[in-house]
Amino acid sequence: MKKYDVIVVGGGPAGLAAAISSSENAKTLLIEREHRLGGILKQCIHDGFGIIKFGEKLSGPEYAEKYKDMVKGKNIDIITDSFITDIKKNDKTFSVTVVNSSGISQYETYSVVLATGCRERTAKQVFINGERPAGIYTAGTAQYFTNILGYLPGKDCVILGSGDIGLIMARRLTLEGANVKGVFEAKSEPSGLMRNIVQCLEDYDIPLELSTTVSRVFGKERVEAVETVRVDKNMNYIPGTEKVVKADTLILSVGLIPENEIAEKLGISTDIKTKGPFVDNSLMSVNVPGIFCCGNALHVNDLVDYVSESGETAGKNAALYKNTNRKLTKIIISDEFMYCVPQYINYETDEKNIIFYIRVKNNCNNVRIIIKNERDEIVYSRKYIIMRPPEMERLVINKELFKNTSFINISLENGDDNI
Amino acid sequence: MKRKIDIYLKKNIGKSATSSEYRKSILLEGEADSWSKIISAGKYAAKFGYKGVINKISLKGFSEDYISKPDFTDGKFNNYNTDVLIIGGGIIGCSIARELSKYNINILLIDKESDVAYHTSSRNDGMIHPGLVPKPGTKKAVYNVRGNYLWEKISEELDIELHRTGSVITYDKKFLNIIKPFLKMRADKNGVPIEFLNKDEVLKYEPFSSDDIVGGIRLPTAGIVSPYKATVAYAENAAVNGVVFGFNTFAEKINTVNGEIISVETNRGKILPKTVINAAGVYSDIIAQMAGDMFFSIHPRKGQIAILDKKYGNSLYSILSRPNLNFHSDTKGGGLVKTVEGNILVGPSAEEIPYREDYSTDYKTIISMISKHEKALNRINKNQIITYFSGIRAANYEEDFIIEKSDYIKNLIHAAGIQSPGIASAPAVSEEIEKLTVEVLSVYKEVKRKDKWINRRFSSPQPLKLSIKDRGNLILKNPDYGKIICRCEEISRGEIIDALKSPLEISDLDSVKRRTRTGMGRCQGGFCTPLVMQIISEFKNEPLNSVTKKGHTSFILGEKTKEFTGDDLNEKV
Repeated sequence: MKKYDVIVVGGGPAGLAAAISSSENAKTLLIEREHRLGGILKQCIHDGFGIIKFGEKLSGPEYAEKYKDMVKGKNIDIITDSFITDIKKNDKTFSVTVVNSSGISQYETYSVVLATGCRERTAKQVFINGERPAGIYTAGTAQYFTNILGYLPGKDCVILGSGDIGLIMARRLTLEGANVKGVFEAKSEPSGLMRNIVQCLEDYDIPLELSTTVSRVFGKERVEAVETVRVDKNMNYIPGTEKVVKADTLILSVGLIPENEIAEKLGISTDIKTKGPFVDNSLMSVNVPGIFCCGNALHVNDLVDYVSESGETAGKNAALYKNTNRKLTKIIISDEFMYCVPQYINYETDEKNIIFYIRVKNNCNNVRIIIKNERDEIVYSRKYIIMRPPEMERLVINKELFKNTSFINISLENGDDNI
Repeated sequence: MKRKIDIYLKKNIGKSATSSEYRKSILLEGEADSWSKIISAGKYAAKFGYKGVINKISLKGFSEDYISKPDFTDGKFNNYNTDVLIIGGGIIGCSIARELSKYNINILLIDKESDVAYHTSSRNDGMIHPGLVPKPGTKKAVYNVRGNYLWEKISEELDIELHRTGSVITYDKKFLNIIKPFLKMRADKNGVPIEFLNKDEVLKYEPFSSDDIVGGIRLPTAGIVSPYKATVAYAENAAVNGVVFGFNTFAEKINTVNGEIISVETNRGKILPKTVINAAGVYSDIIAQMAGDMFFSIHPRKGQIAILDKKYGNSLYSILSRPNLNFHSDTKGGGLVKTVEGNILVGPSAEEIPYREDYSTDYKTIISMISKHEKALNRINKNQIITYFSGIRAANYEEDFIIEKSDYIKNLIHAAGIQSPGIASAPAVSEEIEKLTVEVLSVYKEVKRKDKWINRRFSSPQPLKLSIKDRGNLILKNPDYGKIICRCEEISRGEIIDALKSPLEISDLDSVKRRTRTGMGRCQGGFCTPLVMQIISEFKNEPLNSVTKKGHTSFILGEKTKEFTGDDLNEKV
């Protein structure tokens, strides 16, 4: 059985960054289930990646290539086309069972970085009913068809959900000659980044219909039409607003779910808000020490730059991991927030700063994020003109501010107050 | 009798409605304004002891029913002579084909779809019912109990998983006391073992059963198979023994002379059979009528089923239900079944519909089933659903199987009206049809058993179910078993290629899915669909956009975008 200090699971942007930072201090193995490294970036041929990390607009494959080049220079063992079938916790280590075309191998490691990414919610999970023809795809699958295989998923497309991949695909399919009949979003606000609404829909005159969903699919062999219906605030259909839209393809961009089946096997407790593990600021699981998590497996990010950043944090801490007792400070968030990562603070880490990734539930204008300690003292505050759920906020805060408190409270207040 | 039926029809359907005695059956005609009235009329007429109810009352404004069928014609089976023609490739047709393959006769099985188990046989919960529910003395009762017994042998011969888990039905006290003596009597009459359990005993079998129950009954002979894998197994074993499978072959017309079928016209030519077996499921009444033997009607009864994520599978061990005291509930019956793969199934519902292939699902039914059955098992909820589907029961108004030689057509045999518990009964139904066919065919030729009949079939390897050592050795022999394509169900490239190489020629995504379970997991094919398509396209040496979801014209892809210049972007599978 081969031994490593750190095993990184997943060779996408999070895993690559984790492997690089881990390899500085630890013997590292990177396991990737696909044939090539790069994860989902391989099929994201649009630009906009890397503005924060590299200061330039890159395509997905270019961004991945930069990391792959960095990996080459490091002392990292890499196995691709390899699938983890089992992971077990031992006394001080973990055993990982891997299957690939040369057989079954087992590895032992002191810590594991989970960088397994996410999967897309499916038509059935958003309760699209009706008939079951060919022609219903998640946006990621449609993107694979178009960008990797070189085939259009269909001619006349309807897109449900205004998530970023859906918006990107609306533009992509239009450029390839398909007719995108519209993007329908059940919520009253778009789910994707504003820049994508402008660059992918408005620039191409693709209609966006808010508070409208797809309720039924028609077609026996192939999709022939879909029924759209307007919904009220509680997502109930409004009778009489049904419309039939002719289309041969229905593309869904209705949300991403972090893939944490490996974490679940280890009994890691997960946050129902992020659907990723509860972690501290070293991105280590709070209940299974030695397991770190980053990227979209931890929570669904809006920018790949942040995915890489969390990978770097997780990799570095995994390499330095020693099984010692932690004292954790709980982060309590108010109702206005969708989630905050990390959910706990371990004051005894090396970093000077703590990075918080935080999202609001609804659009807010002119607000202030306030962080208080257990004595109700304001330790941090920051004003925002606008906050939107699709756009994640990143806060970098000096760790010293969280000394000597058993919990911290993050709340959202009116931005007009002078503090 | 007829007078009573006429009065009923006038009162409930309208003046236009009439009945007439046709041979030994009763024929209903007219026009009604609702489907439920038509069903009620058929059910009413079934009470009078006619051989069958032929319900031709039409629904006002009803446009023609959709039939999925091949969109081409060729001469593949033109003037094709066969001793036996089986119409229908569900589990009934395939099991009959397999049993008859032990004789020195030619057998052709035709199905309008691109594979076996395309309709009802892949759209049910796979339960091997113990046989308590059917009324004593009915064909259902006899064949169900016998079929349940035979599954032991069949599952071994065909190398398919049979989980004989038993089933548990829980009750609150009031209900149990009323029904207990009745259940015991029926179980004894049908020959079904039954155990009465107190609450602790229930919890021993199903520890997560909701604890506001006081007891239950257990039927130890209940079991589970994968219904589509079982159908495929029967078909593959039949094919190995010489049965010819004609897919995409649609029976359009049956020609008879002097009460004898002389030919069956299809889109692929005129087949000349000595005997014909009607195993056409929801279309079995139409086939019977085509052959001039109209005596029953199928009224499609839809059942919707929800599939929960495997990772919540450990809250159930077997088959669990908690009958509802409210008999007017719109989701009658059903329960929770743990599949051989470990998912929990919730359902099915029971809805009378005018369409024979309407597999649509609806939110209301799915949610009401979840809320109904979470009373039996609190741990389930709607967030665990990964997908749902529906199937159509081929119900006749007599609500019993039709397993017999035709009264009017010499060389026609019916295996019709087979609905639940059809999977459970299949081995017994095919055993009986085998006897009947040999009798009928012996008039035409000498029927003898083959010297060499291969009664064993072996499933191709399932690496996931092997020990680490065996799995490793398997991969050493064939590295394709180490390349995982479907990550949710952990299915390798090797298994997909095995499916494509199997004795039945298949080429669409759903056919691969029925054999390997690719795309059946929580991502519902999001990741593996393009990869499986590439394997199919490579194997068949056909372009990617010729691959279909489910045969016919269900193409997955449209036009090509552009040519690649470098091969770097070609994802290797």
